[in-house]
Amino acid sequence: MRNVKISCRHVCKIFGPTPEHIAETIKPETAVSEILENTGHVVAVRDVTFDVYEGEIFCVMGLSGSGKSTLVRCLSRLIEPTRGEIVINGEDVVAMNKEQLRDLRRHKMSMVFQRFGLFSHRRVIDNIAYGLEVQGIGRAERLQKAQEILELVGLQGWAQHYPHELSGGMQQRVGLARALAVDPEILLCDEPFSALDPLIRRDMQNELIHLQKNLQKTMVFITHDFLEALKLGDRIAIMKDGEVVQIGTPEEIVAHPVNDYVYEFTKDVPRVKVLTAGSVMRPIRQKEDLIGKAVAMDTTLEQLIPLTADSDGAIPVMDAEQNLVGIVNRRRVMMALATVEEEEA
Amino acid sequence: MRKIMAAVPQPARSKRTINPVTVLLALAAFLLLYHALVNPIGIFPEAWNLHLRDPLDVFKKWVIVANRDGHWMFAFFFQPIKSSVDFFIRRAEDFLFWLPWPVIVTFVFVLANKIGKLPLALITSLSLLAMGLLGLWNESMKTLALMVTAVIISLFIGIPLGIWTARNDRAERFLRPILDAMQTMPAFVYLIPVVLFFGIARVPSVIATIIYAIPPVVRLTNLGIRRVPEDVLEAARAFGSTPRQILTKVQIPQALPSIMAGVNQTIMMALSIVVIAALIGGGGLGDVVLKSLRRLQVGAALEGGLAIVFMAVLLDRLSFAFSQIEHVSVERFQGFRLLPEKWSDRAWAQAVEKPIAKIYAASAKAEQKLAGALSRLLPRYRDWWQGHSYLLTSLLVLLVLLGVSFALGWEEFPQSWNLSLNQPVDKVVKWAQVNLYQIGDTFIGTGPFSDFVSLYLLRPLRIFLTDWLAWPIVMLLTAAIAWAVSGWRLALYSFFSLMLIGWLGLWEEAADTLSQVLIAVLLSVLIGVPLGIWSARSDRAERGLRPILDFLQTIPTFVYLVPVIMLFNLGRVPGIMASVLYALSPTIRLTSLGIRQVDEAAVEASEAFGCTPAQTLRHVQIPLALPSIMLGINQTIMMVLAMVIIAGLVGAAGLGFEVVDAMQNNKMGASVEAGLAIVMMAIVLDRITQAWAERQAKAANI
Ligand SMILES: Nc1ncnc2c1ncn2[C@@H]1O[C@H](COP(=O)(O)OP(=O)(O)OP(=O)(O)O)[C@@H](O)[C@H]1O
Ligand SMILES: [Mg+2]
Repeated sequence: MRNVKISCRHVCKIFGPTPEHIAETIKPETAVSEILENTGHVVAVRDVTFDVYEGEIFCVMGLSGSGKSTLVRCLSRLIEPTRGEIVINGEDVVAMNKEQLRDLRRHKMSMVFQRFGLFSHRRVIDNIAYGLEVQGIGRAERLQKAQEILELVGLQGWAQHYPHELSGGMQQRVGLARALAVDPEILLCDEPFSALDPLIRRDMQNELIHLQKNLQKTMVFITHDFLEALKLGDRIAIMKDGEVVQIGTPEEIVAHPVNDYVYEFTKDVPRVKVLTAGSVMRPIRQKEDLIGKAVAMDTTLEQLIPLTADSDGAIPVMDAEQNLVGIVNRRRVMMALATVEEEEA
Repeated sequence: MRKIMAAVPQPARSKRTINPVTVLLALAAFLLLYHALVNPIGIFPEAWNLHLRDPLDVFKKWVIVANRDGHWMFAFFFQPIKSSVDFFIRRAEDFLFWLPWPVIVTFVFVLANKIGKLPLALITSLSLLAMGLLGLWNESMKTLALMVTAVIISLFIGIPLGIWTARNDRAERFLRPILDAMQTMPAFVYLIPVVLFFGIARVPSVIATIIYAIPPVVRLTNLGIRRVPEDVLEAARAFGSTPRQILTKVQIPQALPSIMAGVNQTIMMALSIVVIAALIGGGGLGDVVLKSLRRLQVGAALEGGLAIVFMAVLLDRLSFAFSQIEHVSVERFQGFRLLPEKWSDRAWAQAVEKPIAKIYAASAKAEQKLAGALSRLLPRYRDWWQGHSYLLTSLLVLLVLLGVSFALGWEEFPQSWNLSLNQPVDKVVKWAQVNLYQIGDTFIGTGPFSDFVSLYLLRPLRIFLTDWLAWPIVMLLTAAIAWAVSGWRLALYSFFSLMLIGWLGLWEEAADTLSQVLIAVLLSVLIGVPLGIWSARSDRAERGLRPILDFLQTIPTFVYLVPVIMLFNLGRVPGIMASVLYALSPTIRLTSLGIRQVDEAAVEASEAFGCTPAQTLRHVQIPLALPSIMLGINQTIMMVLAMVIIAGLVGAAGLGFEVVDAMQNNKMGASVEAGLAIVMMAIVLDRITQAWAERQAKAANI
C-alpha cells in the first residue's frame, strides 16, 4: 500500500454562533437546509473522511456551496475545523500550536487560489519568492529559486512585471509558481482554473499533468468541473451538502455512480474514453469461448469496440502480471455504453 | 414618477395629540407679543453671566506659576513635549536655512520629476522659486520647517493609530466619534487650549497643527488596511506569514495609495492651520500676511498670500502625486511630456520640446554611465546600482550643487531677484479704491455694494435678531426647528447650547456673528446653486469650474482675506466676501452632483410628459437633488463658521473679533469664551442642517 499523506477523519465545519453545540446535537439524517432554518447554523463540511496517498492528485468535486473550499481550508487550518481529526505526515494538525502550524504552511504545504490572490504591489518575481521570503531566506537565494520556478511554468521574461499587467492564465501561472517555489510536499488547489476561459483552462490542465509527472507532489485539487476531475484526478471525492457521497477512481465513479446525484455528473462524460476493460469485464465462466489476443485492464472502450464489433466471442482480460482476470464481449461493451448496470443473466 | 410623489413629505397628522413644535411656536409667539406690545424683554440678563473667564484666567495664572515652579505636570509632561518639539523645529529650520536655495529647488525638481514627470517638476520647483522671487524665501522656509515638523509628528502618531484601529474593532469604535468631532471643529479651536499649556510662539502652533491635522491620515490608513481584499490576506496566511509579516509585507504596501491620500489631506490641513497660527506667534508666511493686514499694506499682504498659495500648490501637487503612483514594470512613457500630445506636430511645440528631449536623453545617458561605473567598481551590488541609477545621479547632482553653491556663495536667495509686487499692487489698490468704489455716478461699485450689504442686509437682520426677536424667542424658534427636523433631543440640545452662549455673556456678539453667517450662506447659495445647476447641465461648464474649485479648496483660509481687503477695506462686508469665496465650492459641487445623479428614468418620464427643460429642472431634478444640495449647504455653513475668526481679523465684529482681540491682548479667558460660543453655534447649525438633509434624503427615498 502507498503511504498515506493526508488523513481526514470525521471532519466537520459549522458556521454560526455555537458550532460546537450544533455539532454535538445534530442527527446524521437531518438535512443541511433544515439545520439552517432551525438553528441558523451553516453546516459547510459534514463528517468527511478520506485519505490522500503520497504523489496522487486527489480531486474534490461538487456543486457550488457544497463545502469544497471550506474543506480544503480546514486541511491547513485557514478555517478551523469544528470537529474531526486531520493528520498530515503522521502529525495531528488540529493539535498544532501557532508556530507548528506556520511551519507546516511554510514548508510542507502551499496553496493555489481560485481568484489568484496575487500581491498586486509586488513584481511577478517577488510574488513567486514570497513564500521563501516569509521563511527568512536571503534575497539572492530566493530570487534565484524564484527564477527557476518562473521558467518552469513558462513565464520567462515576465519577472519584472506586475500581476495586473498579465493575462488571467499567466496570473494563475504566477499563483502556481508561487506555490511551487517553496517546494512543498502537498499542494492545495482551490478551483485554480475556474476563472480562466476554456482553451486556456485546457492548456493549464495539460501543463499541470506535465509538471506533476516530474514533481510527484501530493495534490488536493478542488473543482466543480467533473471533466476536469476526470482528467486530472487519480481519485475523486464527490461532495454534496458538505458530505462526501462517493470516493473512487474516475472510472469507478463513471462506471458505478452510487446515486442519482453522482450519476447526473457522469451523464455527459465521453464514456468510451473513460471506461476500460477492467471496469466493464465480468468473471470468466466455464466453457467460455475465448477468442483473439488478450487485452490489458486499462484498455479503453474506444479501443475495445473494433475488437468486439465483429465477434460474438469473449475477449480475455489480463492484469499486469499476465493473469487472466475476466472477459469482455460485445454485450458488456454495449451495456457499459448504455450506462445500464447489467443484471446477472 | 412614484419617486417624485414620494419626494413631497406627507406628515402624518393626528388631531388629538398636541404637536410639541406647535407648542414651542405658540410659546414663541406669545413671548413675541409680550415683547412687542407689553414690555420689551431686553438683553440677556447680565446677572446670568457665568463669568467663565474668571476661573480660566485664574487657571492661566496658576499655569504660569506652576510652570515656573516646576510643578510635576509641567516638569515631566508639558515641558518635555515642548522642548522636544522645539528641538525638532530648530533642527528643521537650521537645516533648511543651511541648505543653499539652489539645492532645495533642484531637490524638489528631481523628486517631482521622478514621481510625476516634467509638468509636476516644473510646477513644484517654479512654485518654490516664486516664493523666493516674492522676497519671502526665509519666511517660506520658516513655514516649511513648521510644516515638516508638524507633518512628520502627525504621521508618526497618525499612521500607527490608523494601523491599530484597522486591526482592532474596539479601538476603531472608540476613536471614530472622536475623529468625527475633531474634523467638524474649526481650526482655531485648537489654538486656544494649546496656548494655555504651551504659551505662545512656534511650539503651540505645531502642537495645535498636529491635533488638527491628524484625523485624515488615521482614517485613511485604517480604511486602506481594512480594504485589502480578503483573498490576498488569505494567500499571505496560507504561506505561513506571521501577523507582523502580513502587516509589513502585504497590508501596508497594499494600503499605501490610501495612506498617501491621507498624508496629502493631513498636509493640506496642516498648512491651513500653520498659516493661522501666526495669530499665536507661529511666524513665517502667515505672519507676513497678518502684519500687513494690520497695517493695511495690501501689496505686502498679497505677496504673503501668493507665497502661501504657491506653498499650497507645491505641497498639494507633490503629495497628491505620491498617492497616484502606479505599479508598472516599464514606464508607459519614456522621457518627458510637457505639452499635450495633440500639439506635437506644431512647429513651436517642437521647438520647445526638442531641447528638453536632448537634456533628458543626456541625463539618461549620464545615469547609465554612473551606474555602469559603479558596477565595475563594486560588481557585487550591480543590480542595486542599476535599479537606483536615478537616485544615485540625483544625489550626485545635489552634492555637486551643494559644493558649488557654498563655493560661490549662493546660500541666500539673491535680494536683487526680488519681483516686488508691493508698489504696483498698492497703486492698483489705490486706483481701485478711488475708481471702483463708485463708478461714475452710478450705484455700481464696491462702495455702494458694501453699503447695500451693510445697510439693507446685515443691519436689519442684526436688529431683527436682537431687538425684534428677544433672546428667548430666538432660542424657542431654534428649538422648534430642531424638533421639527429631528426630535426632542436635538431641540433640547440646541436650546441649551444657545442658552450657554447667553450665559457666557456673548448673546449680542453671537447675534451679530449669526447675522453675518446667514448673509454669507445666503449669498453662497444664491451664487452656488445656479452655478451648480449650470455645471450639471453643461459639461463644458463643469470642466471649466472643476479646476477652479479644486484650487479654491487648496488655498488656506487666511489667503482669502487679501483680495477682499483690496476691494472692500475693513469691516463686516470683506469678512463676508472672504467667507463666500471660501465656502462656495461645496454648494456648487454637491448641487451639480445631485442633479447629475438624478435617475435618468425620472428625467425621461418627465420629458415624455412634454415638460420643458425648465419644468423638468424645477419639478423633477431639483426636488430629487435636494438632499445633495442640502448637504452642500451644510458644508458651506460649516466652512463659513470656520471663517468667522478669520473674518474677525479684518474687523468683522462679533465672536470672531472677540477671539482675535482676546488672543492678541493675551486674555485667555475671553478668547476661550468666544471660541466656545462659536463652537456652540457651529454644532447647533451643523446638527440642524444635517438632520434636515437626512430628512430630505429619506423623503426622496435615496
Ligand atoms: N465564513 C462563513 N460563514 C458562514 N457560512 C459560510 C462561510 N464560508 C462558507 N460558508 C457557507 O458554507 C457553505 C460551503 O461553502 P464553500 O465556500 O466551502 O463552498 P464551495 O463548494 O467552495 O462553493 P464554490 O464552488 O462556490 O466555491 C456555503 O453554504 C457557504 O455559504
Ligand atoms: Mg469555493
